[in-house]
Amino acid sequence: MTLASPTIELVPASQFTFDELVAAYNQSRVDYIVPMPMNAARLREYVHNYDVNLELSAVARRGEQILGLAMLGVRPGHTWITRLGILPVNRRCGAGQLLMEHLIRQSRRLRAPHIILEVIKGNKPAHRLFCKLGFNETRELLIVRRPPGPPANDALPYTAHDLNQQQAVELLRQRRSIPSWLDETPSLINAGKLAALRVELEDGGRGWLVYQKTIFKLARLVLQTEAGDPRQVGQALVHALHTRYPALDTKSENLPPDDPHWPALQEMGYLESFRRIEMRLELT
Amino acid sequence: MKTILLIEDYADNARLVMRTLKPYDYRLLHASDGESGLMMAVNEKPDLILLDLGLPDVEGQTLIALIRDVPELAQVPIVAVTAWPPATARQMTEAYGCDGYISKPISPKIFPSQIAAYFAPEDDE
Repeated sequence: MTLASPTIELVPASQFTFDELVAAYNQSRVDYIVPMPMNAARLREYVHNYDVNLELSAVARRGEQILGLAMLGVRPGHTWITRLGILPVNRRCGAGQLLMEHLIRQSRRLRAPHIILEVIKGNKPAHRLFCKLGFNETRELLIVRRPPGPPANDALPYTAHDLNQQQAVELLRQRRSIPSWLDETPSLINAGKLAALRVELEDGGRGWLVYQKTIFKLARLVLQTEAGDPRQVGQALVHALHTRYPALDTKSENLPPDDPHWPALQEMGYLESFRRIEMRLELT
Repeated sequence: MKTILLIEDYADNARLVMRTLKPYDYRLLHASDGESGLMMAVNEKPDLILLDLGLPDVEGQTLIALIRDVPELAQVPIVAVTAWPPATARQMTEAYGCDGYISKPISPKIFPSQIAAYFAPEDDE
């Protein structure tokens, strides 16, 4: 399937190798403040973790020259537009809008009730394009990090229990917070290497933390307070986590700034790296 | 002669850094991703590491942590080269144990003096 405009054609991303896609993607973000380059292995992992459908994703091309690309994640109930990027020399020729309109059409064909996407806060050209296409802001999301080291502060006395991946997935089914695409349960299960902690405070406060542990990093934190003060429970949860893994770097994406655990994370040494804006387009 | 290791994935940026520092009396090494950068750092034990925080295989902050975890490299100055806003760059690089940061795009006029500042005069060989 190839859709043609007078000068630009859209080709399914599945017709390109991961090396070709990643080269185009990296070029498209070279002048970003937060470029987040990838290699082919990381892109392959990204496609897997986030249910990106490369058949429905597209590369914009003029002749043999790649202008840009955009990808579509597909899950029951909604789709997700991601990795939209136009190479700097090819901007302002309409390729970005063409790609977006294509993915919106694909989502309509799938009868998705809505599409979501995220844009880095401050990326005004992309934000303008999304608004023009009818997307509305839903919320801001924080990307937070914590350098390695033991817990910076003490928590109230607590007892902690370690849980395995299966138990972590059970906990995610009880989640009350509204996850973004990146930390929806399918993303976490696809990414794997999950574990969890449960803590109980002496005053009856209790909660759990699901996280991903890889060789170099802790990531994908999901915190929930089941009873008590989220700040105190949050402190106990991350205290327990970093007591166990003091040598690991930590990154967690898409935490809403009004998450009741964010103050606890900050007190435990987490820093805001940058923000995204989540946007949504209703299709029904 | 001091050895500087540049870890930078974008070829144009790497070329600019290498070209800017070429007239000076440094031994310049370049790695284009985190894994080869870490290997090169371990093998060559540079006197200074210039690190792009956005790498294709491992994030810059994670790489700083990995470098700092190697006892022989724990004291090697690491300078982040980043396009982040100054306040974020300062906060993040301090937290991760960098010795400083230089904003992208680098200025070829002042970049050599920015680099020289990380070598104390008594370090001259």
